[in-house]
Amino acid sequence: MGFIIIEGIMRLSVEWIKEFVPTDASSEELARTLTMAGLEVEETIESEIGPVLDITVTPNRGDCLSVIGVARELNAVYSLQFPSIPNGVSVQPVKADCEISVAIEDIDLCSRYVARLVTNVRSKPSPEWMQKRLVAAGMRPINGIVDVTNYVMLETGQPLHAFDYDKLHGGRIVVRRARKGETIRTLDGVDRVLTEEMLAICDADHPVAIAGVMGGEEAEMNDSTKIMLLESAHFLPVSIRRTSKKLNLRTEASYRFERYVDPESVAKAADRACQLIAECGLGDVTTVLCDEYPVKLAPKRIVFRLARANAMLGYDIPKPEMIKALANLGFESLEEQEGHITYSVPSWRPDIQREIDIIEEVGRIIGYDRIPERLPVGVTTQGGDTPIGKMTAKIRTGIAAVGLQEVITHSLLAPGKLENDDPDGQRIEIRSALSSDLSGLRRSLLPGLLEAADRNARRGQLPLAFFEIGKVFHRTHKGYEESLVVGGIMAGTIAPRSWVRDDKRPEADFYMAKGIAEIVSHLCSVSDLQFCVCDDVRLHPGRSANIMLSGKRIGVVGELHPELRKLHSIREKICFFEMDLERLMDAGTKKQVFVSLSSYPVVVRDIAPRVANSVTYEKVLSSVKEVMPEILEKIELTDVFTGSQVGEEMKSLTLSLTFRSPERTLTDSEVNEALEKIRANLMERCNARFVG
Amino acid sequence: MTMDDLDMLVADAIKDIETAQNITELNRIEIKYLGSKGSLQAQMRTIGTLPKEERPKFGARVNSSKESLSQKLSARRTELEVKELEERLTKEKIDITLPGRTFPIGRLHPLTLTVQRVKEALIGQGYEFVDGPELEEYAYNFEALNYPEDHPAFDEMMTFYVDDTRLLRTQTTALQGRVMEKRKPPFRMATTGRCFRYEAVDATHHHTFHQVDVFMVDEGISMADLKGTLKQFASAMFGGNVQVRFRPDFFPFVEPGVDYSIFWEGRWLELGGAGLIHPNILESYGIDSERYSGFAFGLGIERIHMIQNGVNDLRLYLENDLRFLKQF
Repeated sequence: MGFIIIEGIMRLSVEWIKEFVPTDASSEELARTLTMAGLEVEETIESEIGPVLDITVTPNRGDCLSVIGVARELNAVYSLQFPSIPNGVSVQPVKADCEISVAIEDIDLCSRYVARLVTNVRSKPSPEWMQKRLVAAGMRPINGIVDVTNYVMLETGQPLHAFDYDKLHGGRIVVRRARKGETIRTLDGVDRVLTEEMLAICDADHPVAIAGVMGGEEAEMNDSTKIMLLESAHFLPVSIRRTSKKLNLRTEASYRFERYVDPESVAKAADRACQLIAECGLGDVTTVLCDEYPVKLAPKRIVFRLARANAMLGYDIPKPEMIKALANLGFESLEEQEGHITYSVPSWRPDIQREIDIIEEVGRIIGYDRIPERLPVGVTTQGGDTPIGKMTAKIRTGIAAVGLQEVITHSLLAPGKLENDDPDGQRIEIRSALSSDLSGLRRSLLPGLLEAADRNARRGQLPLAFFEIGKVFHRTHKGYEESLVVGGIMAGTIAPRSWVRDDKRPEADFYMAKGIAEIVSHLCSVSDLQFCVCDDVRLHPGRSANIMLSGKRIGVVGELHPELRKLHSIREKICFFEMDLERLMDAGTKKQVFVSLSSYPVVVRDIAPRVANSVTYEKVLSSVKEVMPEILEKIELTDVFTGSQVGEEMKSLTLSLTFRSPERTLTDSEVNEALEKIRANLMERCNARFVG
Repeated sequence: MTMDDLDMLVADAIKDIETAQNITELNRIEIKYLGSKGSLQAQMRTIGTLPKEERPKFGARVNSSKESLSQKLSARRTELEVKELEERLTKEKIDITLPGRTFPIGRLHPLTLTVQRVKEALIGQGYEFVDGPELEEYAYNFEALNYPEDHPAFDEMMTFYVDDTRLLRTQTTALQGRVMEKRKPPFRMATTGRCFRYEAVDATHHHTFHQVDVFMVDEGISMADLKGTLKQFASAMFGGNVQVRFRPDFFPFVEPGVDYSIFWEGRWLELGGAGLIHPNILESYGIDSERYSGFAFGLGIERIHMIQNGVNDLRLYLENDLRFLKQF
C-alpha cells in the first residue's frame, strides 16, 4: 500500500496480459478489442518489455483493475481459456514455532482476512523480470517483498500488506473499528487521528494499519525484519471509501478496495504471493496460516430471459452466441428452462445485480455494432419548447436587434462590490470552495457583464453593449432562491461610426438602459412598469431607479456609481439594467385583444408646459392622464428644453398629443376643449405655465 | 395684317419652340404666342379690319395655326422633360461604393445558437423541453439517478456542494426524476442548461459547461431505437447521413450504458453518453419496467459547437471576446 494513484488509469504490459491470454493478436488489436468491450485503451506506450496499454477502467468495474481482470475481458471476446490466478505454493511450506491469531471483531466491515507467516525474510531486490513489469505499470521497484505484494496486486487485483511480525504485540491481529482518539503514524510519516467509523488492523494493543488504506510505521518491515505477516483481506467498499475520503488519503489499495475485491480470491492471492516469495528466495513460506471467513456470501442467482435480451438490445441474437458469451465471462448456468436460464454470477462481479446487467454483458461482448438503427414507433408526442424557452428566444432577438451582443458569463464568482448587499438576498457560498473565484453564486449579472465589457474595452473592441439572460441566486428567509434574470450593460456610443455627416450616435446613458428595459417589458406584454428612486449602492444615486411592477421591485436600472467605474478601464458612463424575467412573464398579458381601426382622421396638437426642474415627467404625464379625455389617443414627449430662455430652475416639455375618435371626425372646438382641460390641470397640479 | 404676316408669325413661333432649351423657356414661348395676350390672339383681334368674305378663312387659319403650335409645344415639352430628367439623374449620381449606413446590431452567443439548433432538431422529433434548477437537490442529481450511496461513481471532489442536500447540478440528467415524478409514459422529454463540475480549466475542460439531455419512455424501446434516434439527431445537427457507433461505458442511470460516437467528415467523434434507462429508476417512480423501457442520451453544447465550427478552445465560450462572438 502507499502509492497515490491516477484516477481510473491502469498501465499493463501486453506481454504480461498475454501470459493469461494465449493469443498472437497485436497490441493494436488488443487495444481495439478492449476498447470496444468497455475498457478504453487511451494509448499504447512503448517500454523495455514491449508495448504497454493505458487502460481506463470505469468505476463499476473494479474486477478489471488487474492483469487477470483484463485477461478475462479479452477471453470473453476471443474465447480461448479462462484466466485464473496461478495456484499452489511450488515450494513445500516449512513448519515454524510461532503462532498467529486473527480475530475479526467487526464482520460487517471485514468479511474475510487471511494471514500467512514467512520466516527467514531476506532483504534483497526482486528479480529483474518482475521489476520490469512493475516499471512498465508505472510503479517504482522498492525491495523484494514490497515488489511481490505490488506485483500480486497488479496481477490479481487483491491488495496485500506485509507486517513485521515481531513488532505486532501479542502476535495477534484484531480487525476492529478504531476507538475514539486512537492515532497512528502512517507509512507516509503523517500522524492521523482515527474515528470510530474507521476500520483498523490492530495488534493486541493498538492500530498497526488503517484497513485497506495504508499501513502504520510502527509495524513496518525493514532490513532487519525476520518474520513477515502477510495480509490479504476483503473490506467493505463503502467503509474504505469513507475512511479514505475522510483522511484525504487515496492509495492503490484503497482504490481497489472501494471498488470491491473478490472475496473468493483473498486466499489465492496470498498463496500466489507466497509462491513468488519462495521462488524468488525472499523468505521461507511457513504452514502458519489463518483464514477467517465469517461471512461467506452465496453466489447471486439471476434468471436470464433470452427474449428479453433480444427485446432490450433490439435484434435477435442466436441463443448459442449468448450462452457462449456469458460462459466466457464466468457465468455459470445452473438451470435451463423454456426461454430462460438461471445463472450464478461470478464472485468478482458485484456490478451484476439483475437481469438487465446480464443483458448488457451479452450485448457488449457480442458487439454493439450489430445493433440495427430504428426509430421509436408508438404514440406521437407533441414536441415543443418550454414557455420560458419561447419567451427568452423572443427577448434575446429583441435585445440583439437594438445593438446589444449576447454574452454568457460565470455563475460562480468571488465576493465583490458589484453585487448588492441586500440583507434579504444573501450570497450562497460553495462549501469548502477550492478557490475564491469559485466560492459562491452570483446574485447579479453585473459582475459578469462588467467583466465582459472591461475585457473588450481593454482591447479596444467596440461597441460596449452586452446582455445576458441567466440565473442568479439568493439566500433569503424562505431558503435558496434561483431566479432567471435579464441584464444589459452599455457604455459609450453603441452605433457604429459613420461617414454620413448627420448620423446621430447617442452615448449610452440612463435613458438608453431604461429604454432597453422597457423594450424587454413590452416583449413580455407588460406595459405598466414604474420607475422609482432606488438606493442600490452600486449605482449613481441620482441616476438610478428601481424597476417596479404592481408595487414590487423586479429590477434596477442606472448608471454605475463613479467610484466603482474608477476600478475599470472604461472611461465613459457605464449603464446597466437587470430585471426578473419570470415575474415579468407572469405579469404579461396572456391574450391580446383586438381594437378595431378607426377610419376617422387624427388631430395632432403640441403643448409646451413650463414647469420647475423638480417636477418629474411622471407627474406631468399623470396630470395629463388624469384628464384623459376619451378622444386622446397618444401622448408623445418630443422635447425637453432647459436654458435661460425658459427661466432659472425651469424646463419646458413639448408634448405631442394625438386625438382621434372611433366614431366621427373631431371638430376643432372639442379638441380645443380637451386641450384646455389638460392645460388647466397641468397648471393646477404642476404649477405649469404656458407661453404664447 | 395679311396672311403673309400670319405665316411669318407662325414660322417665328416654330423656330422659337424648336430652339427652346428648357421648360421655363418653353412656358414663356407658350405665353408669348398662345396666351390670352399672345401674338396669335392679337392676330385674331385684327379680324375686324378684314373684308367680310375673308374673315372666316382668316379665322380658320389662325385657329389651325394655334392647334399646330400647341402640338409642337407639347412635343417639344416632352422632349425637354426627358432631357431634363436625364440631366437630373446624371447630376444626382452618387458613389455607390461608399459603405452602407450602419445600424447597431447585436448577435446571439454561439451557445445560444447551438441550443436553438438542438431544440429545433429534437422538437421536430417530438421531444418536449422542460427546465430545471441549476442549484439542484442532491436527491435528484444523484440518488434519483441510481447512484449508490458513497460509490466511487461520483466523487465529491467533482461536485460543488452548497450544503449536505444542495449542490450545483453536475448533469442535466437531474431533470429525469423531476419529470418522472409527474409524468406517466409514454413521454419524450429533453432539457438543456448549465452544469458545474470541479475541473481544472484548460482547452477541453471547464468547471462551467452546458448540456442537453434527452430521454423517452414507451413500450418496447430498445438499444436499436436509441441508435436510430441518435443517428437522426446527429444527422440533423451535423448534416449528411452520419454513422453512429456505441462503445460500452458506465453511467449509473443507464443499463446497458454506452458512449456514442459519430462518423463525420472522415473521423469518429465521441459525442456523449447514452443507454437504456435503468429499470431501478423506472420502478422507483412506479413505472412498470417489464411493460415500459426507455432510453436517455446527453451531450455537451460546447462540444457540438466546437465540432461544427472547428473551435479548439473551450475557454473561449465564457470569455466573451467580441472577436470570437462576432464570428457566429
